[in-house]
Amino acid sequence: MKKVLKVEQIQKYYGNKDNITKAIDGISFDVEEGEFIGIMGASGSGKTTLLNCISTIDTISSGHIYLENQDITEIKEENIAKFRRENLGFIFQDFNLLDTLTIEENIALILTINKVPEKEIDKKTLEIARKLGIEEILNKYPYQVSGGQKQRCAVCRAIVNNPKIILADEPTGSLDSKAARQLLEVMEDMNNKMKATILMVTHDPLSASYAKKILFLKDGKIFNKIEKGEKQRKDFYNEILDVLALLGGDARDVR
Amino acid sequence: MLGKLSFRNAKRQAKDYCIYFITVIISVALMFSFNSIATSNDISELSFYMAFFSKAISGISILIVLVMAWLINYCMRFMLEKRSKEFGTYQILGIEKKSISNIFTLENIMIGGIAFIIGIALGTFLYQIFTSIIMNLFNQPYQIKISFSIKAVGMTAIYFFGIFALVLLNCRRKIKKTKVYDLLYANKKNENNMIKNAKGNVILFTLSIALLVGAILINNNEFANASNMVGRNIFIAIIMLIVGIYLFYISISSFIVKRYLNNKSKKYKKDNMFLYRNLTSKINTMSLSLGTIALMFTIILIGGNVALLMNSMINNEIEMGYPYEIMITTADGDFSKYKEYIEKNAKVKDMYEYRLYNIKGIGLSTAFEKTPFKGAIDKEIDCVLSLTDYNKLREILGYEKVDLQDDEIMINCLKTAKGGLEKYTKENDKIKIVGKDVKIKEIRSENIAQVGFNGSYYAIIVPDSLIPLIEKEDQRLRDKNDNNSTIVTEQEDGADKIYYLDFAYNFVATTENMTDEKFYKELSNYIIKQEREIAGEVNGEEQNYNIQISLANVQTKGERMSQTKSFYTIMSFLAFYVALIFVMATATLLAIQQLSDSEKYKYRYELLKKLGVDELQINRTIFKQLLFYFAIPMILPVIISIPVILGVGQIFTVAVTMEEIFKNIWIMLGMFILVYGIYFIATDVQFDRNINGNG
Repeated sequence: MKKVLKVEQIQKYYGNKDNITKAIDGISFDVEEGEFIGIMGASGSGKTTLLNCISTIDTISSGHIYLENQDITEIKEENIAKFRRENLGFIFQDFNLLDTLTIEENIALILTINKVPEKEIDKKTLEIARKLGIEEILNKYPYQVSGGQKQRCAVCRAIVNNPKIILADEPTGSLDSKAARQLLEVMEDMNNKMKATILMVTHDPLSASYAKKILFLKDGKIFNKIEKGEKQRKDFYNEILDVLALLGGDARDVR
Repeated sequence: MLGKLSFRNAKRQAKDYCIYFITVIISVALMFSFNSIATSNDISELSFYMAFFSKAISGISILIVLVMAWLINYCMRFMLEKRSKEFGTYQILGIEKKSISNIFTLENIMIGGIAFIIGIALGTFLYQIFTSIIMNLFNQPYQIKISFSIKAVGMTAIYFFGIFALVLLNCRRKIKKTKVYDLLYANKKNENNMIKNAKGNVILFTLSIALLVGAILINNNEFANASNMVGRNIFIAIIMLIVGIYLFYISISSFIVKRYLNNKSKKYKKDNMFLYRNLTSKINTMSLSLGTIALMFTIILIGGNVALLMNSMINNEIEMGYPYEIMITTADGDFSKYKEYIEKNAKVKDMYEYRLYNIKGIGLSTAFEKTPFKGAIDKEIDCVLSLTDYNKLREILGYEKVDLQDDEIMINCLKTAKGGLEKYTKENDKIKIVGKDVKIKEIRSENIAQVGFNGSYYAIIVPDSLIPLIEKEDQRLRDKNDNNSTIVTEQEDGADKIYYLDFAYNFVATTENMTDEKFYKELSNYIIKQEREIAGEVNGEEQNYNIQISLANVQTKGERMSQTKSFYTIMSFLAFYVALIFVMATATLLAIQQLSDSEKYKYRYELLKKLGVDELQINRTIFKQLLFYFAIPMILPVIISIPVILGVGQIFTVAVTMEEIFKNIWIMLGMFILVYGIYFIATDVQFDRNINGNG
């Protein structure tokens, strides 16, 4: 299958000469098209930093990140906006919806930025909203709907432009367990039916169990890697818990 | 879509920052109405002096523009920071920074544009009110007419959009510079905490108090000697004051912590702990802006009071110096032609001519030691009026007749000198005058024009029986010179002594109506021409013209009034304008800061609610928090300004009584607290709504 993302020996340092913190310490991995990868690890293990580096929010100290053969670490400042809107989809823990726009407009905004013809915008927005079950609330404002609905709107926004990869940072972090499960099912569905490539950072084993492959980080390095394969989600979940137990023993850090 | 986004954002901003929006509207309205006044012919034609009004407004506008720029810049950057996450999201969605800048610019131009339009509309209305007030002051009829000065709109637009353009450029630069990571993850950037060491803070606090006290002492000492021109020390005092104010606000929060939070019994009383912690954390992070706010308040309070004092002074000067409509004094005493002229050109009610005698000083200058006129009294010469003339002067003004025994005299002085003089004469009522022993019967303080007309600040009233002796003494002094000049030199103790005599002949008249500037000009021209002829006869030479002019002095209340009214109007309106804008700008800043933090406070107060505090109590705690918060930058300026004003007021005590100075202080404080209070209440209402509402 086609490689979408190739992460090559990246490092990210903070601090000065005397006191260096290695947030990421030589991580390499590949993501193929249609994969759903979870990244797990305790707080401070470098998982969000990794995601931020891939999403061009943060910069790396050394190494390379290729998105379909384009080295994103070398994109110039003036081209970065274009790169983001054409290639990346984002889902944040706290939604980051624009509260002056309705749900529909929040989704459509990304299409207008990408200069999709006006006729298609409406069609596409409605189509994706229907798939994610939020067509009822399209005319409402973000503050009028529930957290789960907000996050599904964010997912719509992330996928509507067919990005090469969707980057999700703790997408269920602000949701209750029912809404979280609904959202994860939607993401799983997106991955299965729409072949969306998803990279998700989480510290919640249940969320992670919806992914097909999980990378475990510890102290900025990849500690372990497991795949779901043909396993049931419940078995995969137990496997995750086992790795987490190995990872640090301190289960409180990973809930 | 982006346009729509801008529009919605602008709408939300105007709602969220309602207080800021309203302040900008009122500021535009004030700016516009004052610019309209500055360009109005109706007003500049009111009097010769009113022409200065427009110049003064243009000058003051610089100050207003600076303050407005400060407010708008602070608020916009504040909003920018509050919305950092939103701007981060834009970037993440792939909107170019330039477009983001454009969104921000567009929405602010929309807000500014709407504020400008509403402001101009409101300003047109304000202009009508201001104009009718001014016209009323000058007793001119004024019909409300819809007038709209394009020039005033243009000036206001230049000021306002100039500020906006500069601030927006600054913000655009800021947007361009920030990284998306900072926007998304650096949630709140507080203002920098200046000093973290608690002990250092206590030292700073003590130092600031010392500086402030020192500044007040230097100031008051400097103004105590009005005869010294106010000098370099004042600048030192001003610098001490500024540094002191800033140091005070840098160090106060840890002082409060030390004073209250280390004292457990106080700390655990009621909601103290919660309040103090909320306050100190905020003060700590914004000590610099608090310092600036306090400094502005101090300037408003002191400046406003000085303006009020000057107004009181010139008002009193009119009252004291111009009880009669027309006052003429000459060296020669023939008023017949003038009387004829005046009767022809004005409706005369009363006229009176009389002599003002000069005698060598009888030692009253020591009596003035305890009055504000200390050092300003001419030791060498005293002015004397006969009882008959005095009574006639009183009668014209409607005062009752007074009487004197042959061995009694009295003194009529300005009301500000009465108290001090009485204190002196109570113990020393025996005095020698032209060789006779007399008793000072009483001190009177009716206004009979004693600002250099019927004596400088005072005159001695003697019974008519003493007049022959007085006249002889007067004549003796005047004989010392030969050309009717009032400068006399006399040998005394082997040295030349110079006396400045008053003109000998006075004339007063009252009229039915107040005379105008034109009447004054024509009358004085007429008199100068007459005097020249008379003087020409005396000297026989035309070239003595320069001296001849000074042989008569004409004053009319009408002319003086129009000058004073102009000055009064200009001062009052400008002081009002500046003070209002200053208070509004600073109160807005405080309000915006508290309200935009209400999100953070909401969490804290929610917690209190969960811990079992009911809504009423919460509202009370909010009220207290805001009250403290608004009071903190205000209390110090009030405490500083009162002694400073009393110090500066010393140079006004010649014409302004102590009660008036205090009255002015209360008026100024009252107006200040009124405007400030409106902002405080608006903030409190909005805050309650933010905390208790569901939004």
